[in-house]
Amino acid sequence: MLFNSLEYFIFLPIMFVLYWFVFNKKVKVQNALVLVGSYYFYGLWDWRFLFLILASTFVDYFVGIMMEKNEDQRKKQKLWLWVSVVFNISLLGFFKYYNFFVDSFVDMFQLLGYQIKSTWTLQIILPVGISFYTFQTMSYSLDVYYKRIKPCHDFLSFATFVAFFPQLVAGPIERASDLLHQITNKRTFNYDQTAAGLKLILWGLFKKLVIADAIAPIVDDIFMNYETYSASTLILGVTLFSFQVYGDFSGYSDIAIGTSKMFGVELMSNFKFPNFSRNVAEYWQRWHVSLSTWFRHYIYIPLGGSRVSKLRAIRNICVIFLVSGFWHGANWTFIFWGGFHALAYIPVFLMGRNAIYKDSVVGENSFFPSLTELGQLILTFAIVTFSRIFFRSASLTDSFHFIGRIFNNFSYEHYVHPNGYRMVDYYILLAAFVLYEYRIRKDERSPFKFKSKAVRFVAYTLVIFTMLLFYDSGFDRSFIYFQF
Amino acid sequence: MKKLVKNLIIYTVLILVSLEILVRIFYLGEDKPSRFVDEKRVEKWVPNQEGYSVTGNRNQNFIRYKINNSGFNSYQEYVSTQDGIEVALVGDSFIEGFHQPYKISIGRKVEQKLDDKIKVFEYGYSGYDMADQLHLIKAYKKDFDLIDRVYIKLKFSNDLGRGEYYVQESRLNLESPMNKLLKKSKLLIYFSEIGVVDPVKDLIKDLRDMVRGVEVKKAEKKETDSDDSMYLENFKSLVKLYGYDKKKTVLLMDETNTSKMFLDYLDENGFQHIDFGKAINNSKRKTTLVYDRHWNNYGRSIIADIIVSDMEKTGLVNSTGK
Repeated sequence: MLFNSLEYFIFLPIMFVLYWFVFNKKVKVQNALVLVGSYYFYGLWDWRFLFLILASTFVDYFVGIMMEKNEDQRKKQKLWLWVSVVFNISLLGFFKYYNFFVDSFVDMFQLLGYQIKSTWTLQIILPVGISFYTFQTMSYSLDVYYKRIKPCHDFLSFATFVAFFPQLVAGPIERASDLLHQITNKRTFNYDQTAAGLKLILWGLFKKLVIADAIAPIVDDIFMNYETYSASTLILGVTLFSFQVYGDFSGYSDIAIGTSKMFGVELMSNFKFPNFSRNVAEYWQRWHVSLSTWFRHYIYIPLGGSRVSKLRAIRNICVIFLVSGFWHGANWTFIFWGGFHALAYIPVFLMGRNAIYKDSVVGENSFFPSLTELGQLILTFAIVTFSRIFFRSASLTDSFHFIGRIFNNFSYEHYVHPNGYRMVDYYILLAAFVLYEYRIRKDERSPFKFKSKAVRFVAYTLVIFTMLLFYDSGFDRSFIYFQF
Repeated sequence: MKKLVKNLIIYTVLILVSLEILVRIFYLGEDKPSRFVDEKRVEKWVPNQEGYSVTGNRNQNFIRYKINNSGFNSYQEYVSTQDGIEVALVGDSFIEGFHQPYKISIGRKVEQKLDDKIKVFEYGYSGYDMADQLHLIKAYKKDFDLIDRVYIKLKFSNDLGRGEYYVQESRLNLESPMNKLLKKSKLLIYFSEIGVVDPVKDLIKDLRDMVRGVEVKKAEKKETDSDDSMYLENFKSLVKLYGYDKKKTVLLMDETNTSKMFLDYLDENGFQHIDFGKAINNSKRKTTLVYDRHWNNYGRSIIADIIVSDMEKTGLVNSTGK
């Protein structure tokens, strides 16, 4: 079930009414409803893969209990932790990476001059959300192991924590220490929380339907036919893709966080206006925050983080970015994308500027950014956008050809979409979007934070009106991050 | 919770009203003309209506239409004469041309290409099939007898689904009191135009089918030889029922996707036909509109050229007259 589908707009109010009016007496019945609803939500896509979620749930629940039983035996606890890690990574490895490894193995042998006819690749469907929920269940076992939380003895609550429908298929990837206690305690209705949730859903829908979906056909055209377009058009294409992927994923996250609020559960922010980052390090503090946090807590810090020698710290940075790239997809393009970001991050780290913008936003004390900040924003956006060539291209060869066309033969050509789209509409839209996001940049959870009720009302109306202006019923409206 | 429900209702109503106003200010929702069945049982537009046809989001095709006294979209009234040269274009929405300014319609282009020495009457109506078209010609026989050449736009796989004319109630239901009431909301019309209400309609249809126990077959229907035979039989039946003047009537078709069986039948039995498929499909420039499969200005010029060329070939007009 997609967040931007009619089914969801029927499902959500029914769940909401049942949750607060019928199943509101005890936490157990609240969780039972959410669990059944979550399995239904997921099962509509493909019910067979519910067994994977159930398996992951059982394994990590059991691992938690066993770790507690062996409280004084750290070695045994570590063994149980490995059970969780190996099981979840195996699920991911088989469903997401099996064919990639087989193909890469065959390619490597061909490079060495051996011809292998591969018959090992399989027709495997990638289960939606597998990268997200396996990481979430692993986070539980890791948190229990590191004694950040006590193991959960209520299977119903634990299963609800794993399958919580707002964030089941594309995050935010919650750490057990943040989410589980909210699930085990009874939720009570709060008007302000629900209203804030509805506003986030509206803003998320806007980003998905207007920013991402409206631009998508243009991006698709440019990337599919990049060999026929001039350098200026290719730059336009990748710039628009930067907005598309941001609108798509941050839109999804906002709807997830907003929906969750409606059920009295707070999820972490996943996007904090990454387009207003002043360097690559700040970008990673603002883009897909839940994944960055996961990697930082469970890989980067255990490896020693930055509190080791410079050389080892650089190694840790490389590990994190390469793993992050690989997490996104079983394709060398994503590994290159991760590697590129590592290369962009290391100089910032070596200059000691990787944490300087942690607690501030651009134009912190003024309405406009300073000229220096503006330069920083443009440079960071350019670096990030350039990296998206790898992210969007079908293969590494395509990526390099795309880059080659930009640098080897730079020329300007007015872009005309084959369907004759009026491009100026999109330029005005994006300019207005960037200005509006700049206006609200200090609080990603309150996109309609205006003192005056009238101004708020005008903003709601304009957002919905713009959605109507750019709605395209002929477009496939699934989310980009579902493929990860 | 009460506060939430109250605020949701208030905001929903206010936002809907504001959207209705905005849609009207920016003229996003089209003016839907009224249709009726006249005394000769011909379905057409209520005469003498004017308004704007809007296609696609953001007003991308915003065209004024003008329904003449005969009930068709045209800049002129249709008065057939004995001595002048009059040509009729009969067809569906492609000829009706709500997606193009009526002052540069296909018919008008033909007239201009021939220095206004002839008159072209456009009998176009969305959804017309061969049964509608031949019934119309028979119903207005007196007028059509005075017309020198008749071009009927035909899509073989679409327009020969029935072998006898009857009034299409489903189209006329659009004039039901409920639909008329709904048409008063430009916002609803806009929703409908851009496909927002399609998922709702589909859901209602699926639910209805589910309740009735109808098995929904989603696979696309493929054209088969038996379909072609059925269409051909329908064509024969319509010709027999409503008559067909082979001397002056020409079928205007995309012959690249028309059954060979049908084309052979036409040739063997002396039905005149001309093809626009090659010219449209091989055009290097786009021939259809944005967000719409109807012909754009360039597409219409191609069709006008084909018609002019046919008239020159048959000697109805001479090429030096241009």
